[in-house]
Amino acid sequence: MAAATHGAVQETAVRTNVLARALIYAGLILFAGYYLLPLYVMLVNSVKPLDEIRQGDMMSLPMLFTLEPWRSAWATAQIGVQPTGLRPYFINSILMVVPAVAISTLLGALNGYVLTKWRFRGDGIVFGLLLFACFIPFQIVLIPMARLLGLAGLAGSTPGLVLVHVVYGLGFTTLFFRNYYDAFPTELIRAAQIDGAGFFRIFWRILLPSSGPIIVVTVIWQFTNIWNDFLFGVSFSDVDSQPVTVALNNLVSSSTGVKEYNVHFAGAILAALPTLIVYVVSGRYFVRGLMAGAVKG
Amino acid sequence: MSVSQETMVGAARPATSASAGAVEWLQRALPKIVLAPSFAIILVVVYGFILFTGVLSFTDSKILPSFNWVGWENYVKLWGFRNWITALKNLAIFGSLYILLCSAIGLFLAILIDQKIRVEGVLRPIYLYPMALSFIVTGTAWKWFLDPGIGLEHTMHLWGWESFAFKWIKDGKMAIYCIVIAAIWQSSGFVMAMFLAGLRGIDNEIIKAAQIDGASNFNLYRRIVIPLLRPAFLSVFVVLAHLAIKSYDLVIALTNGGPGRATEMPATFMYSYTFTRNEMGIGAASAVIMLMMIASVIVPYLYSELRGGKR
Amino acid sequence: MAFLEISDLYKRFGSVEVLKGINLAVEEGGFLVLVGPSGCGKSTLLNTIAGLESITSGEIRINGRVVNNLHPSQRDIAMVFQSYALYPNMTVAQNIAFGMEMRGVPKAEREKAVAEVAKTLQISHLLGRKPSQLSGGQRQRVAMGRALVRNPQVFLFDEPLSNLDAKLRVDMRTEIKRLHQSMKTTIVYVTHDQIEAMTLATQIAVLKDGVLQQFGTPHEIYNNPANIFVADFMGSPAMNLIPARIEANGGGVAVVMTRDGAEPLQLKVGSHSRLGAHAGREVIFGLRPEAITDLSGADRTSPGVVNAECHVEVVEPAGADTYVVTRLGGREVIGRMRSDMQVAPHSTVPFAFNMDKAVFFDPESEFRIA
Repeated sequence: MAAATHGAVQETAVRTNVLARALIYAGLILFAGYYLLPLYVMLVNSVKPLDEIRQGDMMSLPMLFTLEPWRSAWATAQIGVQPTGLRPYFINSILMVVPAVAISTLLGALNGYVLTKWRFRGDGIVFGLLLFACFIPFQIVLIPMARLLGLAGLAGSTPGLVLVHVVYGLGFTTLFFRNYYDAFPTELIRAAQIDGAGFFRIFWRILLPSSGPIIVVTVIWQFTNIWNDFLFGVSFSDVDSQPVTVALNNLVSSSTGVKEYNVHFAGAILAALPTLIVYVVSGRYFVRGLMAGAVKG
Repeated sequence: MSVSQETMVGAARPATSASAGAVEWLQRALPKIVLAPSFAIILVVVYGFILFTGVLSFTDSKILPSFNWVGWENYVKLWGFRNWITALKNLAIFGSLYILLCSAIGLFLAILIDQKIRVEGVLRPIYLYPMALSFIVTGTAWKWFLDPGIGLEHTMHLWGWESFAFKWIKDGKMAIYCIVIAAIWQSSGFVMAMFLAGLRGIDNEIIKAAQIDGASNFNLYRRIVIPLLRPAFLSVFVVLAHLAIKSYDLVIALTNGGPGRATEMPATFMYSYTFTRNEMGIGAASAVIMLMMIASVIVPYLYSELRGGKR
Repeated sequence: MAFLEISDLYKRFGSVEVLKGINLAVEEGGFLVLVGPSGCGKSTLLNTIAGLESITSGEIRINGRVVNNLHPSQRDIAMVFQSYALYPNMTVAQNIAFGMEMRGVPKAEREKAVAEVAKTLQISHLLGRKPSQLSGGQRQRVAMGRALVRNPQVFLFDEPLSNLDAKLRVDMRTEIKRLHQSMKTTIVYVTHDQIEAMTLATQIAVLKDGVLQQFGTPHEIYNNPANIFVADFMGSPAMNLIPARIEANGGGVAVVMTRDGAEPLQLKVGSHSRLGAHAGREVIFGLRPEAITDLSGADRTSPGVVNAECHVEVVEPAGADTYVVTRLGGREVIGRMRSDMQVAPHSTVPFAFNMDKAVFFDPESEFRIA
């Protein structure tokens, strides 16, 4: 990212005085508060006992610090009919995300390679059709997909969810790699051809070793999207294969018994943890990925 | 003119023997063979399925697909449902406010952050992290935050502001605005990032020229910078419109369509009619209308992007 | 039979014809330069020789073998690219050895060959580096090393010097020429730089719009251009091309050109017997700047030198020479005088026209007529 490279503007034109600068900082900090507040509230209240939440206000720090809600959310909370906590669903999500991300990324890389370096008549149409597939409302495919998974014997299973996420992620992964490989010098491919390397050899030896940045972007993008998915999870999974987002929703909106807000918050943070960690570790790439998804060429 | 490199491998036709010919043929066909499965899958699961849903929308399918042709009946029925009209009204309110406010906040923050802010590296991730969260998590947090019995209102009362009232989420007329608030919280940081990238992409010399021409800061942004952000505005609009029409998770987590059916949206309508009320024909018809709404935004955009990309 | 032969080569992209019936032949050890403005098809022609692009019809032979249908790696060629096309993820040594690796050459042999080539090109100390750590000139050498190590039948160069700065370009030009002289391998070399073409080539092919304009030795191309395009393209400053009229003059022929504010200039043409047939017609009269000099700078061995007073518009000192601009036939005409000539703008000075070097073109067809 071009952080702090825009200095030339401010040095001359935007010669803001002290008051204006104070206002700018105030505005920015105010918004930072707006974005941070819900996270703060969730964190603080996830370590309070339930009584304290009901009596106290949501902003205050816990008087009695407890990790019980976290333990409960992870291992013992009632989800559906079983008191299992989020743990099994968390594992379901991992079992779904890892293969789905790996397969869709690899296929996207190969597609991008073909679409930029082995062009053929009609490749533009192929790419256009793949691209439009990124944007369809998934509601339009829910009914037939449910039928297909049923016919294939994959209904309600983790492999079924992997399949669904791979096929509907292909458009984006192809887009990312196509845009990246488009800027990759074609002369290198030609040099490798003269050196006698074939289709796959060029891919493995020349292209992939230079694809680090775009692989990171694609993996992060796919990971967050698939981990956070709710619609496919709620439509195509059963109790044994439900991802954590569906389980969290069940936990939070179950109408039986007392509403254990502290457990809900702990659960929400647990469900968000993987994407948050990925984001904190490589947020810059994440932004770049979002941009690539939005501004295409 | 984009020159096709169809036969970069040379016009390798059978040269010596039949087997060598087969190898050469394979070499030439390999790229297409590699691409074919992906393309075939997309053709089936995207375009084939769209067709399938389209066909179902003209049938009397209930709990299972049936192929009894009923013509436009489902569409006629659909427009007679008060829930569907509510869903469309809600989408109109939600979509317009969401797009407008996200763009305004995003642009505002991007311009502020572009004023050579020292702590930019700290602020940017704070603005952006909501985008990494699932809508279900966002919904869980805001549902509670907006709950009068325990969230903001309750806290204000405890802090001594007894008359403070904020009951939107329980109010059929106002609940949709709660969804707007939460959705803006989730997406505006991302819009900020898109605008910021747009701002950073503007040629510095243009800005210098405007300064030499004597433009004030206000005029600099109003007359030069914001008009130059046109492509970013377009991308923002397309992304947000697309998210708005698809929005399902957040409604489910925040209000579950309630109170009553007051926050029904097309996406939740489609789901409940298809899978809960077993009116698959109606559900399919609503899905087709959703697709057409999104296509009316995306297709012109993609067309112009692909055209422009041709150089 | 020639070593590299191209006959009736056509190449179409859809409905666009990029190469229109190219015929070329190069002897073994020859240095063929393909030259022309951008978009003339020279790079496409090189790519078809390499096998990187297919041909629509025609034939390419290398050492008697038709290679039309062979994969690039089987044509026994090596190529140096404009961008050098070094594999960014490999070291210099790995880059040079990659082709051998693909052909399954044993490791020890590869290392030996790499070391040898590196020594020839003086890049031994760079073998462990990545391309991103090299300067432009070093990358250029590595790219040549990758080609050299194959020891191919034909070397193909695609504008290899165009990414270098001016001084380095001249040095590398000399180096390529030296390499060619020592290796005696056939080379096909694409450039848009006519000086590079003149200095390196044993044969030059000038292309325009996919059509071969002229094919010959540098001397032929320079002194006997086949048409106005070739005359104008080769040489710097370009040949003066002046609209003129041929008139019978006593026993011989003269070229007549209009002048602003003075009577028309008549230059007697010596030995051009063919020109007599064009008496009374409009022609384009071509004369290179070095054939328009001051009187004492004129070639004394040439019998056809004609002197005439001309009005000087602009004087451009260029160090070794001074270029003097006058106006004939409505065109700017550049002459090359010695640098110690004291010529003032807007004065009238005597010029010496060496009419033995004159060429004449038909203004309609643009072909050479004499």
